[in-house]
Amino acid sequence: MTAKTNTKLKRNALMIEGSACIGCQTCMTACKLEHDLPAGPRPIVAIQTGPLETENGLLSQYWPATCYHCDQPACVLVCPTGAMQKRDDGLVFSELELCIGCQTCAVACPFGHPKLNPDNGKIAKCDGCRERVDEGLWPACALKCPTGALSFGSAQDVVHQRRMKEAVKITQTITQTKC
Amino acid sequence: MLETISLKRKPGTRKDYDQVVTACCQECAVGCGLLAYVKDDRIVDIQGNEDHPVSKGRLCARGIAFVQGLTASNRITLPSSRNRLTGPFEAFDNWEQGIDLLAERLRRTKDQYGAESLVIACDPEAGLDFYLGAQRFAWLWGTPHVYHPFQEAADEAFPAALRHPTLRSDQWSQSRCLVLVEADLAATHPVAFQRVLEAQRHGTKIIAVDSRFTTTLSKADTAILIKPNSGNELGVALIKAMLEEQLIDNATLKDTYTALPMDRFESSTGLSSEKILTLARAIARRQPAVWITAKRLAFVPNYAIWSTLSQSMESQDAVGGWYPLESAIPQLVPTHGLDDMEPAIVRCDIVAFPYQPNNQWKNALDNAEVQALIGSGNCLVDFMAPLRKRVNDMDLNVYFGSFPNQTRQAAHMVFPTAMWAERDGISITNDGAVQWSPRIVKPNDACRTGLGFWMRLAERLGWEDYFPWKKANGMADHKAFYQWLFKNSPQTAELQMDSVCQENALVYWSRDMIADAPSKPELLTAPADTAKAPDAEDPSAYPLDFQATRAMTRSGDAAQWWPWTKELEDEMGIQIHPRIASALKIENGEPIMVASEEETIEGPASISRMVPPRLVWSLQRMRADHVLVYRKGQAPEEARDLLKAIEL
Repeated sequence: MTAKTNTKLKRNALMIEGSACIGCQTCMTACKLEHDLPAGPRPIVAIQTGPLETENGLLSQYWPATCYHCDQPACVLVCPTGAMQKRDDGLVFSELELCIGCQTCAVACPFGHPKLNPDNGKIAKCDGCRERVDEGLWPACALKCPTGALSFGSAQDVVHQRRMKEAVKITQTITQTKC
Repeated sequence: MLETISLKRKPGTRKDYDQVVTACCQECAVGCGLLAYVKDDRIVDIQGNEDHPVSKGRLCARGIAFVQGLTASNRITLPSSRNRLTGPFEAFDNWEQGIDLLAERLRRTKDQYGAESLVIACDPEAGLDFYLGAQRFAWLWGTPHVYHPFQEAADEAFPAALRHPTLRSDQWSQSRCLVLVEADLAATHPVAFQRVLEAQRHGTKIIAVDSRFTTTLSKADTAILIKPNSGNELGVALIKAMLEEQLIDNATLKDTYTALPMDRFESSTGLSSEKILTLARAIARRQPAVWITAKRLAFVPNYAIWSTLSQSMESQDAVGGWYPLESAIPQLVPTHGLDDMEPAIVRCDIVAFPYQPNNQWKNALDNAEVQALIGSGNCLVDFMAPLRKRVNDMDLNVYFGSFPNQTRQAAHMVFPTAMWAERDGISITNDGAVQWSPRIVKPNDACRTGLGFWMRLAERLGWEDYFPWKKANGMADHKAFYQWLFKNSPQTAELQMDSVCQENALVYWSRDMIADAPSKPELLTAPADTAKAPDAEDPSAYPLDFQATRAMTRSGDAAQWWPWTKELEDEMGIQIHPRIASALKIENGEPIMVASEEETIEGPASISRMVPPRLVWSLQRMRADHVLVYRKGQAPEEARDLLKAIEL
């Protein structure tokens, strides 16, 4: 599962593998520290679903949820000051100097992602760690995720990686190398 | 095994820094390596050390968030005192003034109530040096009361069990089965849990047993829910089942275990006989198994069952074994050289500490004439909870810590601590590797390390010769202290400090040199009958089970050092099952009360199926096994009647 599926060469993608997530909140902690955020806004959060009672007993899953950096982002369209922008490489970010904290973007976003930072009265949302990415580094959440649930790369590499992993899973299921 | 190559990690920081310090995280006993980017003596970024053999670039949330505590606005940085517990604190101008007064007040308490009236509580937050220094000081002082949450119960089988061969965590993939008993590694040790998942990817069966449906259980191949604190009892049941099914053969154990009635285990663990048999067969089919047990099992009877189980299942060609968490600290001897003290000095016998509210441990403190406490972390809320009700009547309470928590509220004197990133120290991993971790940043002028605290206090009492580890600037010399400790223990005598200090190298202490241990750990041939005497509490008055364990955050001052901890894990939250919430008309987040015969706690309801219907769980500790839950403002009797009407 990829957060972004555009395969244009210059685009990067954050790969999210929910099955590897253990809800440890390291991604959220890394993000908060990287962007110096207070209590309240959480540009990335590991959501726990369950435990639910199923035929096979209890079932519980985790999923790191963050901005999808949409191809046609509603938040950018509705922003009255032009603070919310989309870069050529696909990252959607809010320019703090232009943001007036009206939260129109938060209403427009189908995922409710943008949140108000109570410390400065401006929107805090995932900017894809654009400054780190510009320096060739992984975003903080992906770099510091201890489980491999988050990883990062060019869109092509991410898609290739995902296909390989699925292929390995299928092969393992067929061969059952160890029981 | 097919593998895929992961996307290439690109570590580094965009922050402005002038120095990178390579150190070890000391938030827990996994021993992850970290890189601290430092600018003007402040940490600006923390990242995992990609070259570290334990963590390979990974850290957990605690391992990166500790930075916030160093510069938190509410951090205590000056020693202070007050005459009355209700009065305001008055700060000393410097550390030395505070220590002068402490020495004087301690002397007075000793004169009036005797040396044994002093209790020293060592939260891991204060550092291993505080605990080791406390043992030395306590010997000189003459009190047996030194407590640490990782201190072992007086179980003779335990030190010997450490000698038993066990797969290290990096070798878990060689095992065919990992059994995690009450060990929620996913929440408490996320980096170590990756080794569990790695083994799972290699086909190792993961069986997890706990009283709650934890994250670890959610990732396991087989998840088993048992009654609170019945992990050891399950171990006894498994041996019985394996012997009866002839899955293992051991003449020494056979008669005793097969004579045990199976219905004992149905009632103590909550598992049916059939389920226990199925589990025993599943594990026996997958030998060798590794048994990973939580620290809290060490304080419940029959802990040696894990050593017995792993020995009974030993095979010639492969190794499984028992892997007790937080238990790989070698037998260091901080009291070395004190044997020739005056006869009046009492030998310091460490007393097992009252971790869970099990009656057999709490008596140790209940019966003691305690009049003075030197406590670190938030010990009065955590492992020293049995003293909580008595501290207001005590002669002298001293808090050695960093934040204004409940332990500080009960203190007459406060001494600020240097946190682990501000002191040189060692990290001893669950695997038994010893690593040196240098200081990352300087502490505030008035904060001291644990060793520094004891060294200064000993000076005032005329014992400076017994704490000689001092640098030229008068500060404690931790490297010299640990070097001295290593030299004086057979298990660490061969450790070379140069090797320990080498970056990204793991040096293990010697398990072959455990003093007084038989060549093999003794088998638990006569497991204690843990069937409870009739509860003091009326079961209909307190119909639910209660348990408090650690999850994501560590003990101490989590909410203080991590300003937005409540978003991650609410320290006050109380987990109840939806069935209980529905019966009592409790909504998620609503304030609820949990009452036992002795005390009541309050916190917001967290409604989840992670707990079975009978169980109430919280990070808040209580001295109770059985409780009643009700809405704040609701009459307890009404809640009792409503609970009687539902099936638990």
